[in-house]
Amino acid sequence: MKGWIYQLKSVRKDKFCMMSFLLPIVVAIVLNYVGSIDLSSLGELHFGVAAGGVDLETESWLKRYGSVTVCQTRDELVSAINDPSTNLIGVEMDGDGIQTILSGDELAIWHQTAGTLPALYGQREMAAQASVQILERPDILAGYRYIFAAMTLVVAMFMGCTFNAMNIISEKEDGVAFINEILPMTSRQYVLQKIFIGFVFGCLSAIVTAAICFRFPAAKAAAMLALIVLSAFVAALIGLFVGRISDGLMVGVVYIKIVMIVFMAVPLLKYLAVEGNKIVSYICYFVPSSATFEGIMDLANGGAVTAGKDMIILGVHCAVWFLLYLFISKCQKKHA
Amino acid sequence: MIWKSLYSVFKKDCRMMASGKFFFVALGSLVFYTVFINFGYLNFMHMEIYNVYLYDPAGTQAQVSNLIYAVDSLEEMDAMLVRDTNGVGINASDGKPDIVLYAGAEKVDRHRADYALSLLHTDDEHTPEIVGGDSPEGKNRKDITCELLFIEIVAVGFLGIASVLFKEKRMGVIRVHAIMPLEKSLFVFSKIFLFLLTDLVFAALMTLFNIGPAEMASILPAVLAQTAILSLIMSLTGFVCAMLLKDFKQFSLAYLVIALFATAPVFLSANTSIKMLWIDYYPFYHVYMGLKNAFFGMPAINLAYSICAACAILLLFGIASAAFCREMRKEG
Repeated sequence: MKGWIYQLKSVRKDKFCMMSFLLPIVVAIVLNYVGSIDLSSLGELHFGVAAGGVDLETESWLKRYGSVTVCQTRDELVSAINDPSTNLIGVEMDGDGIQTILSGDELAIWHQTAGTLPALYGQREMAAQASVQILERPDILAGYRYIFAAMTLVVAMFMGCTFNAMNIISEKEDGVAFINEILPMTSRQYVLQKIFIGFVFGCLSAIVTAAICFRFPAAKAAAMLALIVLSAFVAALIGLFVGRISDGLMVGVVYIKIVMIVFMAVPLLKYLAVEGNKIVSYICYFVPSSATFEGIMDLANGGAVTAGKDMIILGVHCAVWFLLYLFISKCQKKHA
Repeated sequence: MIWKSLYSVFKKDCRMMASGKFFFVALGSLVFYTVFINFGYLNFMHMEIYNVYLYDPAGTQAQVSNLIYAVDSLEEMDAMLVRDTNGVGINASDGKPDIVLYAGAEKVDRHRADYALSLLHTDDEHTPEIVGGDSPEGKNRKDITCELLFIEIVAVGFLGIASVLFKEKRMGVIRVHAIMPLEKSLFVFSKIFLFLLTDLVFAALMTLFNIGPAEMASILPAVLAQTAILSLIMSLTGFVCAMLLKDFKQFSLAYLVIALFATAPVFLSANTSIKMLWIDYYPFYHVYMGLKNAFFGMPAINLAYSICAACAILLLFGIASAAFCREMRKEG
């Protein structure tokens, strides 16, 4: 208990820790109140026409399917099509029909859309007659809205890792690590004390962030709390590993960078790209944050299907990393 | 004389960075990014148009396109649609096609329905006119290489110079400099120059491994020019921060803020159709777009941008020198 109080004291003096604790909270507030970015334009089709290049009827026909950008000249249209950040499909009149223009670097979906558009145009009267039954499904874009919030939460939990690693590395550099070795303290006590700070602050930061971003009923809030606690624990443990293997600040920071990229990229890619592929998605679970992210997204989207599974995965992570760390430090002690 | 002292300061900086494993780290990042691009990213970037499922037991639809998947029962169609919610089902069991689909965005739904219907009638593929020179893979490669290069320079250039400086601060190098008969700005200059050199080599290697030698020749000069601008701005900012902040821990927080706030809005605006209103006033966006245009062979030689960049670099250099002098006075 006394050890923990000392750890807390060292934290209180550390501006870095206080600020890293506040950073995700500030981001969450910004996300929540200032700018809600309009993501609904992401899934839409975008067409471009040159002024006077198509008649009004065609333009309003295009507007049924997506947004239409009108460029002043054809050169302007071509450079808009070539702009690598958009997937603009250029449209021109071609006799009775239309001709589409692409830059050639688009993904297959845009090629196919542009390839079939003239046929759609030719049959535009026929299409109106068929009956269309639209089934309800949860709004696909609603899921994307929570991605930012979930990512902020992952970063908040990650703070525990950063802080632990930094704390240990600076102890190493100041020589406190040598003193620790001769203190009457078991390696388990040391590990617990060290995890404690990163864990508690990662947790607190994540809880406040979650409270700002999400509004949950009690049961879901409990599930979210469990997710936060487990992942903050894993993050703090990983911070311990990073602190252990790096012998200088620079190397430590690089490791933290790599861990951070992996922590953020893997769940995001998994969520956006590899939904169907079972094997890849199982491999992704080796990165703890992908279970966290999945659980948060699941809760945010109103389901509670995978949250239980994610908690178990995180629990396994906690146990395995913890035991591994104890094992390694025991081995090293024997050698020393 | 000045060249000789520059050379010796430069040599010392090189040794400093090598001992801080800086080159090793940069090489590691290069390998990591190259592996990620070639084996990870490119495999993710596939997206096909919606699948269409047709239930037509009586065979009423004669001219069905071969892009349509025929199903044997309504149950099978439902199952397919649940699994592939972007797909479109056509029920033609009563001779008239009825469309079934899961709701997405309103306009896209309209397109999905009309697209599915069009497949019932025709087989003639129109080929869109192609006005650009890149293949989809080439574009993806350029996209991701540019992004990673930007991240690497923003993050590592910034961080690298700070870690070296903090180490020197602790070792008392700055105090020694105060009594050396050297031009004071040489200290700043040699460091910035070394980082610039490393970043340029890094950019060239990234381009070589991930875009390929064939295209590299035409885009490399522009890419290097833009990299130099970015690298100078970042390492000078890093220098100033390292001089003003007390220790490395405080600095790494500044770094986190930059990593989050400098890169996220830039990537959103540059890669998607999301346009934020304030983005035009955001300097990093212009730097990033300069780099991106260079990669895509659109050398937008914008006079205003070049002047602004040069002014920013000169201003930062002035601030860095001033901060360095202040630090020397404090130390000694």
